[in-house]
Amino acid sequence: MTDTRDTERMVETYLASLRTPAADGVDAKVLPDALTAMHKAKPQTAPSSRPIWRTIMANRASKVTAAAVVAGVVLFALFDSFTQPAWALADAIEALKDLQAVHVVGAFPGGTAEIWMRANEGKTQSTDVVVRGSHGAITWTQDGSTYHYEPGQNTVYYEHAMTLGMAQWLGPELLEMLSAAENAKVVRGKDPATGRDRVMLMCSLIDVHGAQSWVIEFDAASKLPLAMRQWPNLDRSGPPSFDAFKIVYYEDLPDNIFDVPIPSDAKYVEKPLEIPPETVGVMSNPQDGIPVEGMTQQEAAEKAVRTLYRAVIDQDMNSLKNISPLCRNWGDEFLRQIVFKPDKDDRIVEIIEVGRIRKTGQSPLGPIAAIPTTVRLENGKKAQQQMIVQFRQFGEKASCVVHGPYGLPREIE
Amino acid sequence: MVEDRFLIWRFNRGDPAALCRIYERYRDCLLKVAAALLNDRSGVEDVLHDVFVNFAQSVGRFELRGSLKGYLSICVANRARDTNRTKQHRNAVCLDEVPALSADGVGPEQAAMGRDLAARLDAAMADLPDEQREIIVLHVQSKLPFREIAGLRQISINTAMSRYRYGMQKLRSMLDGELES
Repeated sequence: MTDTRDTERMVETYLASLRTPAADGVDAKVLPDALTAMHKAKPQTAPSSRPIWRTIMANRASKVTAAAVVAGVVLFALFDSFTQPAWALADAIEALKDLQAVHVVGAFPGGTAEIWMRANEGKTQSTDVVVRGSHGAITWTQDGSTYHYEPGQNTVYYEHAMTLGMAQWLGPELLEMLSAAENAKVVRGKDPATGRDRVMLMCSLIDVHGAQSWVIEFDAASKLPLAMRQWPNLDRSGPPSFDAFKIVYYEDLPDNIFDVPIPSDAKYVEKPLEIPPETVGVMSNPQDGIPVEGMTQQEAAEKAVRTLYRAVIDQDMNSLKNISPLCRNWGDEFLRQIVFKPDKDDRIVEIIEVGRIRKTGQSPLGPIAAIPTTVRLENGKKAQQQMIVQFRQFGEKASCVVHGPYGLPREIE
Repeated sequence: MVEDRFLIWRFNRGDPAALCRIYERYRDCLLKVAAALLNDRSGVEDVLHDVFVNFAQSVGRFELRGSLKGYLSICVANRARDTNRTKQHRNAVCLDEVPALSADGVGPEQAAMGRDLAARLDAAMADLPDEQREIIVLHVQSKLPFREIAGLRQISINTAMSRYRYGMQKLRSMLDGELES
C-alpha cells in the first residue's frame, strides 16, 4: 500500500517531469500577441512621478524617514562605495565569524528606527534589509531593488538598486578593512555606566553619500559591536543623524522578519537619480576624468566605467583616482583593501559586459546616468554593479567621471 | 508578494516590460498546469496564449486579489477545462509520449518503472473528475493553499480539501492496484 504522502510525492514528481513545449517557441507565440493586446488596450497617459517625490520630500516626516534610511545605508553601509576606516580586533573578528544577521534599534532626530539585516551566504554583504521607522514608514530591499513605504501617503517609493544595506558585512572582513583606514582612531576605556571595558573606533570620510563620521563602540569582553553613532559631517559635531543604541547579532533570522505587508492600493513612485551636492565639488576638476567629445551618453558612460574597472583590475591607483575623484578622499591602503582587494577571492578580474544606461538624472555639474556592469570575480562568480557617471562640459570640452556605485553589487551567478 | 503588486502597478500603467516580467515569472509553472489539465497536450501553447492575451487586455483596470500566480493558474485551469469540453475526447496515451519520472541516480530497471508509473499516473489523472484533478494540480504544482483555491473557485475550503482528498485516494487506489499486480 502506498500512503497518501507517497501518492502526493509521486504526483509531485509526475507534474514536475511533465514535458512542456520549448520556452522559445511558446514565447514567440504568446508574447507578441499579448504585447499587441496590451498596447491596444493600455491607458494613454501616466502621471509624472518626480513632482510627487519632491512634494513628499518637502514633508517633515518624510525627511525624518529619509534620514533613518540614510542612516541605515551608511551606518552599516559605512562602506557602500570606495570607503573605509578601522583597525584590527582579532578577537572581534573571530566573534563575528558565525553571525549572519543583526538587529539594530536606534534613534534619529524625530523618531526611532529598527533595522533587521541578513548577510549573503558568503557573509560578504547584506542581502535582506528592513528598516521600520517609529511613525510607520518601512524601507526594505528585495530582488535588487529598494522600496520605501510612506503610510501617510500610502505610497511606495522605489529604485532599481540596493541602496540600503552593507557593501561589506559587519563581520571579520569589515574589521580587517577598518584596520587599514588612515583617519581611524581607537580609544580604550571603561563604560562609566557599567564599568565594562570597551573599545571605541572613531572615523570619518566623504563617500558617495556625502560627509559622514562615526563612533563605533565594541564590548571588550564579547568583542562584538554594541553601539554606533553617525553624524552628517566630518567632525562629529551637533546631534547625531542616527544613534544605534542596541545592536544584537544572530546566527540567522526567520524569513518572515523580512516580509513587508503593503496595502494593495498603494501607489508606486520611482525615486529620481541624485547625488549629494557636497560630492559635486570633488568631481569638478577639468583635469580629472576622460574626454568624451562626440560620443553619445551611452558611449561615454560605457567608456568611463570600462576605464574605472580597468584601473581596478590593473590595480592602478592613479587611474582610479583620475576617473573616480571621490576616491581621493580615502587613503591608498584603504583603497587597496576595499577596491583592489589583492588578496581576496572576490576581487574583480574581468569586465564581462557593460549594459545600457538604466536611469538618468541631473546634478549641479550636469547630467548623470546609472549604468550596470557585469564583472567576473577571482572566485569565478559574476557580479553586477551599477555606477553613476557624471557628464561634464568645460567650455568646448566634454568629459566624464565616475561618481561611484549606485547601490550594492549583486552576485548574479 | 510585493514584487507582484509592483509589477501589476507597472502593468496597469502600460509598461510592456512588466507584462514580459510577469510572463517570464509564471510561464513555466503555467505550462505545467496546462499540460497536467489538458486532455490533448498539443493545446498547451494555445491555452497560455489565450490566458495572457486576455490578461494583457485588462491593462489599466486589473485588480489583484490574492496572489498573481493563483489568479493566472485559475485562468489556465478555466481555459483548459473549456478546451477539454470543446474537444470532448482524450488522445490515447502512448507510452513513448509519457514523461518519465525523474530517474537521477537510479538503474535502468528503476528508471523503466518510473516511466511505467508515470504512464499509470497520466492515465489515472486523466480519469479523475475535472474538479478533483484541478485542485490536485493547483495545490501540488502551483503550490496554492486550499484557502486560496477555495476563494478563487468560490467554494468552501472543506469542499476544496475534500476534492483533493478524494482525488488522491483514487490515484492511490489505482497505483496500489498496479504495484500489487
